Amino acid sequence: MQKYISQHNLDTLLDTLIKRGIRVVAPRMNAGIPLYEPLGSSGEVVSDTLPRRSAKEAFFPVCEDIMSYKKEGQKVTITDIDPGRFPETVLFGVRPCDAAAIPVLDAVFSWDYKDEFFLERRKKTTIIGLACTAADDACFCTAVGLSPSASKGSDLFLTALEGGGYACDTCSEKGEALIANNQALFDGPSTSNPIPFAEPQTDTFDLTKVKAWLNDHFEDPLWDGIATRCVGCGACAFVCPACHCFDIVDEGTEKAGKRRKNWDACGFWKFTHHASGHNPRDLQPKRYRNRIMHKFKYYDDKFGQTLCTGCGRCVRICPVGIDIAAIVEEINKK
Amino acid sequence: MCDHTNKNIYLPYLATVEEVIDETPDVRTLKLVFQDEKVRDSFVFRAGQFGEYSAFGAGESTFCIASSPTRKGHIECCFRSVGRVTEELRRLEVGDTMGVRGPYGNSFPIEDFYGKNLVFVAGGIALPPLRTLIWNCLDLRDKFGDITIVYGARTESDLVYKRELQEWQERGDVRLVKTVDPGGNSPDWDGKVGFVPTVLEEAAPSAENSIALVCGPPIMIKFTLPVFERLGFTDEQVYTTLENRMKCGLGKCGRCNVGNVYVCKDGPVFTAKQVKAMPMEF
Repeated sequence: MQKYISQHNLDTLLDTLIKRGIRVVAPRMNAGIPLYEPLGSSGEVVSDTLPRRSAKEAFFPVCEDIMSYKKEGQKVTITDIDPGRFPETVLFGVRPCDAAAIPVLDAVFSWDYKDEFFLERRKKTTIIGLACTAADDACFCTAVGLSPSASKGSDLFLTALEGGGYACDTCSEKGEALIANNQALFDGPSTSNPIPFAEPQTDTFDLTKVKAWLNDHFEDPLWDGIATRCVGCGACAFVCPACHCFDIVDEGTEKAGKRRKNWDACGFWKFTHHASGHNPRDLQPKRYRNRIMHKFKYYDDKFGQTLCTGCGRCVRICPVGIDIAAIVEEINKK
Repeated sequence: MCDHTNKNIYLPYLATVEEVIDETPDVRTLKLVFQDEKVRDSFVFRAGQFGEYSAFGAGESTFCIASSPTRKGHIECCFRSVGRVTEELRRLEVGDTMGVRGPYGNSFPIEDFYGKNLVFVAGGIALPPLRTLIWNCLDLRDKFGDITIVYGARTESDLVYKRELQEWQERGDVRLVKTVDPGGNSPDWDGKVGFVPTVLEEAAPSAENSIALVCGPPIMIKFTLPVFERLGFTDEQVYTTLENRMKCGLGKCGRCNVGNVYVCKDGPVFTAKQVKAMPMEF
């Protein structure tokens, strides 16, 4: 059932959670850049801007230790990471494009071998989504089947109301539990109207049609055309809520150190470079093609989902102005 | 397939280097024994599967398990020293500790090969992924028909498993055709001189009731598959193993894909029919 929570009570909720020792992650400013980061208090929340990087790092950090090693003579001792150390977390103020990406990522981290680093954090995190009341030219969630009011991935979903406060929809048992534990802060449903949602001004892609074209056009002049500009910086993958490729590296000394899982990107030349010198994706068009194929075909082939939620971050950040929405739109028109 | 006792799927087993064998000036075999007795018993693999081998402090590298599942108590890997991890693995001495994750990936459907003639074709450092199956078959010799092995390298010194080539040559139940590229032979060379596809065509193994198993650099594969076609092999009769760059080996890290096929999970063993259906991205 829909509830109402006032701005004051919402702030109280976040502060109460923090006081109880729960890690509350929300958009906040860090040296002038909005990022999803742990809050010290509710006053730090910035709710009117899309964070520079997505919310995926609450589950899949940029860098994380997966074990440590210590060498003594010919012996090596390795120490596992205790998943018990991942804190109970409330991820607050998550935009629909970011929240929707999380269940998409569940697929890859839980099929066959289970990645406990992602899945344990997932278990311990409650996601509070927030409907968008502002969009810019790069936003295209509606083109990929989402919307500024889509609650996919959220446990609770907030919609800002005219006259203040939020309508709060419960989307999962985790969301229900959060309300049950803080009942006094929530009221019955409000009759106020929602502040109008920000609908991105894009046409909806026919993702089935896009995929059908991709099925038949592994080789196509389109790839050369787009990617001659691409400088292979990987920024698009780093800001993407759904990109999840990673590297595994040892960082330390001869004697001791850590093995870490670090974000990686298919745009990098070295990503697929063989020790022999051979590289199956030796040129940037092949690497950019993989990016589009992975998002709109391969991931769908494997998991039945699209690996793009239309957040537009890659469009905003690309130093050479490559626009994934324009590319998919072009494919859509073919 | 892999019974991980650890929840952390990235955690390797510890193994002791039991023996170091130099195959060529830059290719080395390590014979490994798992340090945990329980792992020694529970680590079960099939020919064709691979592992992630770590030199702690340098990182992990992907190689096939080069020994046969019929040889219990240890596993072997074989690698050329070309990068950070393999240089570090090369520095390991007998008694040193390294890490192993696996076994990962699919395997050769050896049971489907019972009663058939087998033709193995390998080039250079690509013999290890077939050597696991060769010994597996030789250890079950009466289950198979004729066994032919065509193996070539650039030079005599680049041939790996030289002692085993000798053994196969001396066995009465294996036909070994070894070759080196023109110019790669010494005056004493007792094998052929010529590229693997050409030598295979001359050897002309019959396609009848046969299975071909091919592994080599992309250029060798490219010229070998048409030879098998000319010899009358169908694409379902020809198997190969692909070896793209990998990190996790678990279908997550996103780099080993050829089109929508993940080499680490859907492979590394594929039929020529499957390979021909893939985009040219390997």
